[in-house]
Amino acid sequence: MHPNETAIHDYVDDVLELRERTELERHLAGCSQCRRLVDDLREIRKAFGGLKDDLREPPVRAWARLERAIRLESESRSTHNLQGRGGSRTAPTLSLRSMSWLGAAAVLILATVVGLQFRAGRRATPTSSTSTPGASVAAGDAAQAVEAELRAAEEHYTKAITGLEQITKTEQGALDPGTAATLQKNLAVIDQAISESRAALRTQPASEPAQESLMESFKAKIALLQDTVALINEMRKGNDAGAARIVSGLKPKGN
Amino acid sequence: MAAPKQRPPIPFPSKEAKVSQGATHADTDDLVTRCQAGDVDAFEMLYRQHAARIYTLACRMGGSVEDGEDLLQEIFLQAYRKIGSFKRDAAVGTWLYRLALNHCLDYVRSRQAKMSKLTETLDAETSFEPMARRETPIARMDLERALERLPEGCREAFVLHDVEGFDHKEVGELLGIAEGTSKSQVFKARAKLRALLRRN
Repeated sequence: MHPNETAIHDYVDDVLELRERTELERHLAGCSQCRRLVDDLREIRKAFGGLKDDLREPPVRAWARLERAIRLESESRSTHNLQGRGGSRTAPTLSLRSMSWLGAAAVLILATVVGLQFRAGRRATPTSSTSTPGASVAAGDAAQAVEAELRAAEEHYTKAITGLEQITKTEQGALDPGTAATLQKNLAVIDQAISESRAALRTQPASEPAQESLMESFKAKIALLQDTVALINEMRKGNDAGAARIVSGLKPKGN
Repeated sequence: MAAPKQRPPIPFPSKEAKVSQGATHADTDDLVTRCQAGDVDAFEMLYRQHAARIYTLACRMGGSVEDGEDLLQEIFLQAYRKIGSFKRDAAVGTWLYRLALNHCLDYVRSRQAKMSKLTETLDAETSFEPMARRETPIARMDLERALERLPEGCREAFVLHDVEGFDHKEVGELLGIAEGTSKSQVFKARAKLRALLRRN
């Protein structure tokens, strides 16, 4: 008879008592099936344990997004302080030239964050506290709530995209033609995905994959537009290294 | 120490030692002081020292790079807001790691309903086709992809135990589950991974 699952895993984790370990090893000596299981589990343990220090670098845009959010927060805190009691502050300042569109971008990003609240997990738990006893009525309410939430999220995304597009359009002259072409190509691929998701939702409004796909496409478009804003920002600051890092992340899509 | 439900001390992984190489305690101290004074350039340095560690954890706990990036943003924005209250009773890296882990766990918990749904779906379908025979060690990309395909619930327990190195008692406390449940979730994850990465 084979040892139970717990004993095998505890053996692999090296937490088995000596007596049990000896017994299990005796079994392993004569059972190739269990030996193989132990070998596989050890390999999994070793491989995944090795991932601990195998780190992923976050995308370049991550800091640019964070910095904008921080600066916006500092700005609003500063305004609040100045209005309140005129206290001093140490928040950094930006050049006036870049301030207006950077501020606009930050506001749009905040709008995006609101849009991102449309996450699958939330849809799995429609509120039922006010629902009527009829199950079909409750299901109908839940479906309507999901659709309303989807519409709200789409509206937020669309607003954010429109604003970011305006910024990138007016500032795109700062980009070299090759980079601009790559950006346009990537945007076209994402726009195609948005169109297809919308078409799918028109025929099947309750389709979760189509809803997810639409949200993911919006998210991808916003991320790309944010990269573009970050790139323009780096170029304005004369930070060639920062700009190069962002450009290296703008790989052509759809090939 | 008073609250019984308090989370256990979180051992910071060895990465911190690597990060700190070349930076003295005085450097780190100075960096923290500047961050606490609202110096965004200093905060950027802190971000660059620790972002990869936090992002990697967030991707693995969240189950996708998209979630990882969102979580990274939220964690560092929270760190920026809270660093003023950092009391230096631990290394700043440990403090950040705790903040990140707590944030990831909160996010994971908020997806509980979705979790069970997804777990059922993945249990029901036969999406774990064995991979082709390999004679070489498992590639990192295959590992990351396999992690992303683990059902919610068992992925977090597996990442905390087999990747981050917590024991089952700690995993149970972190996830708010029994030690035995942590074990069964990790065993389940390993079985799924074995099917995903199987050598025939």
